[in-house]
Amino acid sequence: MDDERVPLFKKWSYWYALVIGFLAVCIALFYLLTKHFS
Amino acid sequence: MSRPDWFVLALTLLGIIAYGLYKGRATRDLEGYFLSNRSVPWYMVLLGIMGTQASAVTFLSAPGQAYTDGMRFVQYYFGLPLAMVVLCISFVPVFHRLKVFTAYEYLEQRFDGKTRTLTSFLFLLQRGLSTGISISAPSIILSSLLGWNIVWTNIFMGGLLIIYTVTGGAKAVAYTQQLQMIIIFSGMTIAAYIVVHRLPAGVGLSEILHIGGKAGKLNVITTGFQGKKFDWNDRYNLLSGTIGGFFLALSYFGTDQSQVGRYLTARSLTESRIGLLLNGLVKVPMQFLILLLGVMVFAFYKYNPEPIFFNKSQITALEHSKYKDSLAVVTAQYNVLEQRRLGGDPVGDGKEVYKATVRRWLDDIGGESNDTNYIFLRFVTDYLPKGLVGLLIAVIFLAAWGSISATLNSLSSCTIIDFHKRFAPGVSADREYRLSRLYTFFWGAFCVAVAQLAYNLGNSLIEAVNVLGSLFYGVILGIFLVAFYRKRVGGSAVFISAVIVEIGVVVLGILIQKKVVGLSFLWLNVIGAAGVVLLSEILNLTVCRPVPSSPPRRG
Repeated sequence: MDDERVPLFKKWSYWYALVIGFLAVCIALFYLLTKHFS
Repeated sequence: MSRPDWFVLALTLLGIIAYGLYKGRATRDLEGYFLSNRSVPWYMVLLGIMGTQASAVTFLSAPGQAYTDGMRFVQYYFGLPLAMVVLCISFVPVFHRLKVFTAYEYLEQRFDGKTRTLTSFLFLLQRGLSTGISISAPSIILSSLLGWNIVWTNIFMGGLLIIYTVTGGAKAVAYTQQLQMIIIFSGMTIAAYIVVHRLPAGVGLSEILHIGGKAGKLNVITTGFQGKKFDWNDRYNLLSGTIGGFFLALSYFGTDQSQVGRYLTARSLTESRIGLLLNGLVKVPMQFLILLLGVMVFAFYKYNPEPIFFNKSQITALEHSKYKDSLAVVTAQYNVLEQRRLGGDPVGDGKEVYKATVRRWLDDIGGESNDTNYIFLRFVTDYLPKGLVGLLIAVIFLAAWGSISATLNSLSSCTIIDFHKRFAPGVSADREYRLSRLYTFFWGAFCVAVAQLAYNLGNSLIEAVNVLGSLFYGVILGIFLVAFYRKRVGGSAVFISAVIVEIGVVVLGILIQKKVVGLSFLWLNVIGAAGVVLLSEILNLTVCRPVPSSPPRRG
């Protein structure tokens, strides 16, 4: 069952990197928003 | 509410019930009733996960939270995407491989029966009570603002969904959640459009952000440091949101059957993983947008008269108290001040002084002096056109239904799988199915009864039950972490650790509630989980050494 084909990417680890990377981008953008409008 | 509002509300709610009954009609066995025959595609898993997590209070409170405290509440969700990744690596493959109905079944295979029973019992206790509160909280708000009878509001909020949840099980839950989420997002988008549309010409999103920023509402990222000292009492900051939020999300999505039951319905491991990972991608931006709606409403009231207090029923309570005459004077003065402010005159802190006076009077008569949860709905009822008010009220109901129906299904599955089938075996498949429906109905009635009790006992109980999750989630997560990552630790060590740490966490929770200890409740999840892992490791090395298994006999 663990050998099922991974959608879009070659490995699940790329999916995990995408989720964590996107969170990092969100936090960075939120930080800029906070600074800009404070 | 006007007739068009009632019409839209009734049509939406009846439509959802009919849709649920239609979609769940073919279910006749346990696999279908609790797991939708493991046939659900990834996008329905995603909407199911989101619909289960987002209760009515999410859509009522979050905009009000941003209005009063700013947008820093979004940090509470920063740990969620990280938890989704850990779940996809460790938890979900195991649940799928073992083909379990409930998460707690795995604990018997890994440890023993008593650990499974304890964990499932903690879940039933915590979830049964907190679901009652999740019915009660929006019911109180709606009945206060619209003057509805609280008993009937509770029954409609927590009772009508029982019809399709009992009949159709997980399949009805999954399909209705899909439709509910579409209606909820549409309703919130329309509300946001109307806020911007009703602002003066030339005032757009940029001005809204400037107004919000100037008032300190765009505090999306906060560090929690007061000078050089970290404030452990501060609920929402980058550190507590990421670490505390991670443990909370990991325990909620990984060990709470109401969520585990959603992704176990997926047609494959891949579809479960995709649903969870996409939830990790969309949750933070979605929560940001809901909070931004609160900042929009804040900006709206910069150009329109703001009520002195958003909860109308509390103003009525003051009108029938000793403060009746004083309230009339203060309200008249406040209205004059608002007119001056809208005319462009600087009014300083005058408004806040009047508002604080009203709050003080409410405290004095034993009323509710916090109107945060009423801000968004008051805007909706005061400013949205006829028909749309009904739609937004329907959104509140549907948000509650999506969350409660999934929970009832999970409470029933744990009752029959973790208790009934084990302690009264030999039940036929048909009787199992009929018992499952009966248990779903029982839990629905139980939660509505708890909702009514919560209303009768007042705010103290609601506040106490709101922190129930933090009291239990950490310990339950600790048990699962030991199960997945500490393979040498045996059942007795983890069971004793869980009991000791649970008592400790409850005592700590009481001390926090009584303000003896200064700590945010979010940290209890971390303490509970870490406590079980460490103590079970120590017990395993000392008093609860696992008995080595005897070598296989020859011949």
